[in-house]
Amino acid sequence: MELDANTQLMFHWIPIVFGLFLMSPLGEGFGKILSSRWESLDTVRGRTLGGMIAVMFGGFTVSAHTLWIHNKASEMGGGQFCSADGVWDCSSVIGNSEWNTMPFIGLPWGLLGMMAFALFLWLAISIAKEPSATWVSSNLSIGRNFGILGILMIFYLIYAEYEIGKLCQYCTTAHVSHVASTIGFFRLSKMYGGSDWSNSSVITAETESKERRKRGGYVAPKNSSEEE
Amino acid sequence: MLRRNICNEAGARSDGLMFVSVLFITAFTYIALTTNPVYTGIGVGDRAPDLSGQVWDGSSWTDFDLQDNIDSMWSEGDVGTYYMIEFMDTNCGACIKSASEITNQQSKWTGDNPTRSMPENVTVEFLAVSISLREGTEGWDYGQTEITDFRTEYEHTFGYMDDHDNDNRDEWGIPGTPTYFLVAPNGIILYATPDAEQGLSIWDAMDYEIPTGGVM
Repeated sequence: MELDANTQLMFHWIPIVFGLFLMSPLGEGFGKILSSRWESLDTVRGRTLGGMIAVMFGGFTVSAHTLWIHNKASEMGGGQFCSADGVWDCSSVIGNSEWNTMPFIGLPWGLLGMMAFALFLWLAISIAKEPSATWVSSNLSIGRNFGILGILMIFYLIYAEYEIGKLCQYCTTAHVSHVASTIGFFRLSKMYGGSDWSNSSVITAETESKERRKRGGYVAPKNSSEEE
Repeated sequence: MLRRNICNEAGARSDGLMFVSVLFITAFTYIALTTNPVYTGIGVGDRAPDLSGQVWDGSSWTDFDLQDNIDSMWSEGDVGTYYMIEFMDTNCGACIKSASEITNQQSKWTGDNPTRSMPENVTVEFLAVSISLREGTEGWDYGQTEITDFRTEYEHTFGYMDDHDNDNRDEWGIPGTPTYFLVAPNGIILYATPDAEQGLSIWDAMDYEIPTGGVM
């Protein structure tokens, strides 16, 4: 049985909706339930980061799917790889040779999306693993700046959709992920240096050590006396 | 005394990078293995850009769009039409010189009884795209009458497209005239003058590329 493009799109929305829920105040209770497995989800910072990673993962997969559709449309010279339902018609947008690549550079938008979400994921995962590191502030700053740059590109793509006269549901999904990720970076920046961040750091440092011990992994000494 | 653990900081970044790299490479490999994109251009192997406009068929001007006559799913053995497209200018010396040659070739390839043997399900169409190389230059006249007169003078039986606004010329990036293309029924360019080896004409390429014989 072959799934139509709108049904396939739902698979990308699953991590995005999960992530948005976790990032929202509604996710607090859910985070507490999951904290038995991932203790960091007990904190606001942990939930925000966890939600962001889920949203970015959804953004990455939908961008990869967009690139696949772009390549397939180019291979077959058009065709219905996306559902066309009234104004929602991704074939007309992704298959449009005038608008489906970046101006000047010529990269397909899907590939740019993959690269952007890969960068975001790297920034977020690094922070989640070591929230007290010296480079956290610069990671947040890179995330914020690239987020704003991406939003400007989204405005350009919305203009492209307006010119074509159709909306692309795959592209819109990636845009939602990008905006949510950017908001997440701003929220983390606001938290950084405050009590929400440092309290969670203390908890996280302890729980991370515990988790590593459980897994039998190496725990690096935290102070000089431990080394002797 | 507490001190910062530099190793963990580096480790967190490396772990993140490792995860992201695996994710990226996996997705990219899947896309590379399951798709084979063909880009639009005017080189051999590219998908022909769109070509549309009004065509004079000897009796009237009708709208023509190459994409409407292309079957992207076509493969050898299927019913299909090869297009020999000539970008020309009715005033250019080289185009005038080659017009007689085209008159000889059209009976070989086109019409109800082409002299060249071809499978029954294969047909060939010629299309001349009349562009404007030197608009405003004395002695270089343009207009639909110029096109119809040129076609009549050389007894051509194929269509002539009016591209005096140079829309199609700009879309295709035509460097000069005459420039020839052979387009397969699936829209892929099989021969392009700018890419052609020295001495290989469009007629040689058609002989080589278009299958011979009876019913396939």
